Amino acid sequence: MIASPNPASALTAAQLQTLDAVLNLIVPPSADGRMPGAAEVGVPAYLYIEAADALPVLGEELDELERRAHARYTRGYASLEQVERIALVEELRAQTPGFMNRLAMETLACYYQHDRVFEGLGMETRPPYPKGYEVVQGDLSLLDPVRARGKIYRDAP
Amino acid sequence: MTDDVDVLIIGAGASGAAFAWSMADTRMRILCLEQGDWMNPGDYPSTRRDWEVRQEREFSPNPNIRGLTQDYPINDADSPISPLNFNGVGGSTILYAAHFPRPHPSDFRVKSLDGVADDWPLDYAALEPYYAVNDREMGVAGLAGDPAYPPHQPPLPPVPLGLAGETMARGFNALGWHWWPSDTAIATRDYEGRAQCVNLGPCKSGCAQGAKASVDVTYWPVARRAGVRLRTRCRVREILVDDRDMATGVVYFDEHGIEQVQRAEVVVLACNGIGTPRLLLNSKSARFPNGLANRSGLVGKNLMIHPWGMVRGAFDAPLDSQRGPLSCCIWSQQFYETDRSRGFVRGYNMQITRGLGPVATARMGLARGDIPWGAGHHEAFARRYGRTIGIGICCEDLPEECNTVTLDPALTDSNGIPAPKITYRLGENTERMLAHGLARGAEVMKAAGAWDVYGEGPVRQTGWHLLGTARMGEDPERAVVNGWGRSHDVKNLFIIDGSVFVTSAGVNPTPTIQAVALYIADAMKQRLANLFD
Repeated sequence: MIASPNPASALTAAQLQTLDAVLNLIVPPSADGRMPGAAEVGVPAYLYIEAADALPVLGEELDELERRAHARYTRGYASLEQVERIALVEELRAQTPGFMNRLAMETLACYYQHDRVFEGLGMETRPPYPKGYEVVQGDLSLLDPVRARGKIYRDAP
Repeated sequence: MTDDVDVLIIGAGASGAAFAWSMADTRMRILCLEQGDWMNPGDYPSTRRDWEVRQEREFSPNPNIRGLTQDYPINDADSPISPLNFNGVGGSTILYAAHFPRPHPSDFRVKSLDGVADDWPLDYAALEPYYAVNDREMGVAGLAGDPAYPPHQPPLPPVPLGLAGETMARGFNALGWHWWPSDTAIATRDYEGRAQCVNLGPCKSGCAQGAKASVDVTYWPVARRAGVRLRTRCRVREILVDDRDMATGVVYFDEHGIEQVQRAEVVVLACNGIGTPRLLLNSKSARFPNGLANRSGLVGKNLMIHPWGMVRGAFDAPLDSQRGPLSCCIWSQQFYETDRSRGFVRGYNMQITRGLGPVATARMGLARGDIPWGAGHHEAFARRYGRTIGIGICCEDLPEECNTVTLDPALTDSNGIPAPKITYRLGENTERMLAHGLARGAEVMKAAGAWDVYGEGPVRQTGWHLLGTARMGEDPERAVVNGWGRSHDVKNLFIIDGSVFVTSAGVNPTPTIQAVALYIADAMKQRLANLFD
């Protein structure tokens, strides 16, 4: 569904490694295994195609995470324990409103278009057209009290 | 120089198409210039898995986001509402919801009944035959007998309520409030060569099925078969006039960006409530230094946009609410007619909308904090996806001269033509109306059983309804065109789009825009021998 050109030209290998560690914080895999984590749905390729304008800022945010990880834990972000990763991201999001918001929004867009996610939600992996969907017609007898109350518009001179 | 024509229509949207269709039987030489292209339904987002993202970008209703070469930018920095449109054969009907309510008879007598704004120079009874013709040509679905309206018979059965519509209907019934299945310009059965709606959902990014009545699949094929010519990728820069104050034609840029002149006996503007004043204001001359047909000074003034409120409710039960025509389900006109005890005059329509797709659900949830990052994400998403219903609050916007379309001193389109600038604010009456609508929307959501309800308004990206900027009226000092669309200042210049609205009513305007265009076409045909007298 989405082509996957190599995103390496836009983000460094180190940034991609940090990104990979962040994605499952945004959408983790479900405990029952039904839903994948965001790190499993091709977000880097999606960003490269659909959000290229965001990559410079995203790169800076990923670098900042990496710097904080080294400063506090003396190792890279990707090497941290999950609780440590969460703590750092939450700290930065609290300090800097909007930190990684764009990444989160683009991640959700990629995630909720992916076949594995559709399957996890019990949806068919297809576009709306041409098959469409069934919708129940509904019970028009519910209109009986509306009819009974009668006309509600004003006559005009 | 190109061949002369009798009637030159500028703009191939809702009004231009209906007008062209009606005028075709005169056998005159009729040409329409459209700045956009023909649409290919196979390109519409619903044919692709990534439809939700596509509809936010190249199919965004906001021309400043869409940014196609055939679009013109709009400076909307001085407005809480962004104007929306589409430039192509079909105009904004390509992306509209096809929600198709008529106004009420009282909407044409606002001054007489409520003491505000002005009465229209025509009334509901005069337009009713044209609404009926338009319903037939567009293929309107609905249910006869709505007590909010004088009797009328939509030609097709209504769109399905779905579980979402039923749920809301029970909420309205619990409160004793009016509701009814919406009139909708969607073919609910195979109709005049168009396939039946199959509930694709994203109607507002083009209908790949062809069930939605965008005018590229309704009026235009018939009008062209009858001899009307339509030339695309032609952007009009200026309307030309002679020293007798008669329009002689237009200057436009063709698809190669080359300037052309098109001569015409009659010029008809169908460019919407922003495009039409923009073109008039760009057509300055020694005889019209303030813009063509603007001796009243009212071109570009009295802009009305319909401030829009949005209430959403989340329900426990699965409703499949993401399925079906997104913005067409049921309506309520419980608060449509004036009741001064509410603290405002006039009123609003409540338009029940269905749920959003998975991407929009997740993103909106994240933005609001309802669907978090990390732990709890999947559970929160599941509680809302397919279980959320919306109510759009369409507030009547009263005309105020401070709400304007002017020319931006710096911004231009891709041909270098000055772009429009919007200056707009909500009036006090509208503010009170919107607050009332949001509160009543929340009330009915709770009555219907929603466990979470939230609302906002005015919603910025809702400026679909562009009205009032070249109003009609019989007094040349208080109106730009007369009661049948003819410019008071230029006797062979007609305006047939939403610019001519005197007031905005509280409903989606497309049926009225088209009924007025058909009315003006008939008025012209009845006066062909002395059209310019």
